[in-house]
Amino acid sequence: MKLAYYPGCVAQESGRELDMATRWVCRALEIELVEFPSFSCCGSGFVDEANEVLNLAINSRNLAIAERAGLDLLTICSTCQGMLTLANVRRRDPAVRARVDAALKPIGIEYRDSVHVKHLLRVLTEDVGLDAIRSRVRRPLAGLRVGAFYGCHLLRPADEMGWESGEEPHAFEDLLGAIGATPVDYRGRVLCCGFPIQFVKPDTASRIAGRQILDAKSHGAHAMATPCPLCHISLDAYQNQAERAVQQPLDMPIFHLPQVVGLALGATPEELGLARHLVPTEPALARIGSSSL
Amino acid sequence: MPADAISAKFDVRRWDAVAGGAPRYQRYELELAPHTPILSALLRIRDEVDPSLTLRYSCRSAICGSCAMQINSKSRLACETQVGPEMDRHGRIVVEPMRNQPVLRDLVVDQSPFWTQYDRIEPHLKLDPAHPMPEGRPTSMTPEQVERFKETPRCIACAACYSACPAVEADAAFPGPMALAKLYRFVVDPRDHATQDRLVRIQPNGLWLCLRCHLCTEACPKDVRPSERIRDLKEMAIAVQGGTERGSRHAIGFKENIEDRGLLSEAKLVRQTYGAAGMIGQLPQGLRIWRKKPEVLHKPRRIEGADELDRIYEALDRESEGAP
Ligand code: SF4
Ligand code: SF4
Ligand code: FES
Repeated sequence: MKLAYYPGCVAQESGRELDMATRWVCRALEIELVEFPSFSCCGSGFVDEANEVLNLAINSRNLAIAERAGLDLLTICSTCQGMLTLANVRRRDPAVRARVDAALKPIGIEYRDSVHVKHLLRVLTEDVGLDAIRSRVRRPLAGLRVGAFYGCHLLRPADEMGWESGEEPHAFEDLLGAIGATPVDYRGRVLCCGFPIQFVKPDTASRIAGRQILDAKSHGAHAMATPCPLCHISLDAYQNQAERAVQQPLDMPIFHLPQVVGLALGATPEELGLARHLVPTEPALARIGSSSL
Repeated sequence: MPADAISAKFDVRRWDAVAGGAPRYQRYELELAPHTPILSALLRIRDEVDPSLTLRYSCRSAICGSCAMQINSKSRLACETQVGPEMDRHGRIVVEPMRNQPVLRDLVVDQSPFWTQYDRIEPHLKLDPAHPMPEGRPTSMTPEQVERFKETPRCIACAACYSACPAVEADAAFPGPMALAKLYRFVVDPRDHATQDRLVRIQPNGLWLCLRCHLCTEACPKDVRPSERIRDLKEMAIAVQGGTERGSRHAIGFKENIEDRGLLSEAKLVRQTYGAAGMIGQLPQGLRIWRKKPEVLHKPRRIEGADELDRIYEALDRESEGAP
């Protein structure tokens, strides 16, 4: 399998461990990643707030880059997935399409709507398949109870994202089961991490993050895992503030999606960049008998 | 009993604000056809099994908006949600009152927080005094003008979206999805004279607290799509007022941030939103993160074809700078 790799901004800088883990897992599963130094930021939902058509145009440009190479596009971020999918979906409105295309045409870019935008979670569960993953597991995450945390834009609006149920998805839990972990069922798994208003009203954002972590914890999660690096920032890098907001210790290790998969496929914590997390992951690693960092 | 009847198990949250005490979940089991609406099942329980079960309903056909409640954690109209799919997915049907509004008894909530927020957006036309509504006949609108309302006139005020909204749950100041969708409806009404004022006043503790999580859009039984109309309001608010709020500054800052190099510069974004002075407050957290992730201070590389991005901005970002 060969895909255009769209790492997004965070995985190229402060979330490099996500990029490391993605490359490791894709190498192990023989997914060839083709890189394009011309991809821009997806706008992260903020450009969409400021200027909807501009957001669609910059992402149509991204899609056109993959299209020229004849490749579908792999995302590793729920928000990138959402924004790039929106560019595909909203173009169905002829008026929007006309404005987007009018901005792209003078610079010689034409997008013909052929690129499928796929998040790594979807590629793993549908294209690689759970059986193939199961057969490659070298270190089942047995005994590790993991709360999947989806990230809004991967799922919703479900009629536009065109994949899982917006409120009752199961792909991530299926995958966690396939790598030997025990998925934890909790309401917060489909809720928001608070990230979009981290800059607007930090207390409220942290309360939101804290509640979801508490919810996972009260349902017995030893760790959480997310397919979104922005959720990872809220849940991991800002977990200290979430603790303050809910006035309780949380101590919840937060994994990126390819990190949990990588651990099961035999990667070392170093290869997955686990030492870069703010909340130590050792307690979770100890449960699966992985070597410490 | 229908041939395809299933054994449906309901766990209904029971509580009474007057009696107090701890809430309990009561199990009821009924043989039902899979297509039975959950409201009908609850009414059968009330009529045949337990007359003390308290719930609110009226039309039984998804019109009045009275019967919203949580069904297996989703905010739904009980009269249009069927028993079968819920049993298939969850093996039981947990029925609870809506969230974000105080419970009075069992499935009945006090909707005043929802209606207070609705009042806050002043949901009535404010006409230009110089052009009052003509006597004796309604003002007409063109089909294009009506089109601008999008799906907002479909709202039945059921509060399912309000119940589903995590911003409401975390911050009582937030007006909630329905009130904001209604605000949109007045902002785009060509007869309304208070558009700018409405957009200015809804920003503090309002518009910019929306998480764009789209849970409201998922919950809404009438496909009003509040989250998308809130996005529209944000863009319009920026057009009338620019970056006066942290939220609008952040959105504008982000847009300008990536225009530069094509990728996000994280440290610069913090400065754009908080200003140089405000950044001091961010220092301790920034340092904590920097120790593990020194790249937060990196300037990202400039993407290939950054000039293309410039031209796209030139074409599309100038045209948006008019009033709505
Ligand atoms: S999109 Fe905004 S209004 Fe809708 S549920 Fe999420 S936070 Fe609430
Ligand atoms: S927007 Fe939808 S969910 Fe919200 S009150 Fe109106 S009809 Fe109900
Ligand atoms: S009873 Fe009227 S909407 Fe359900």
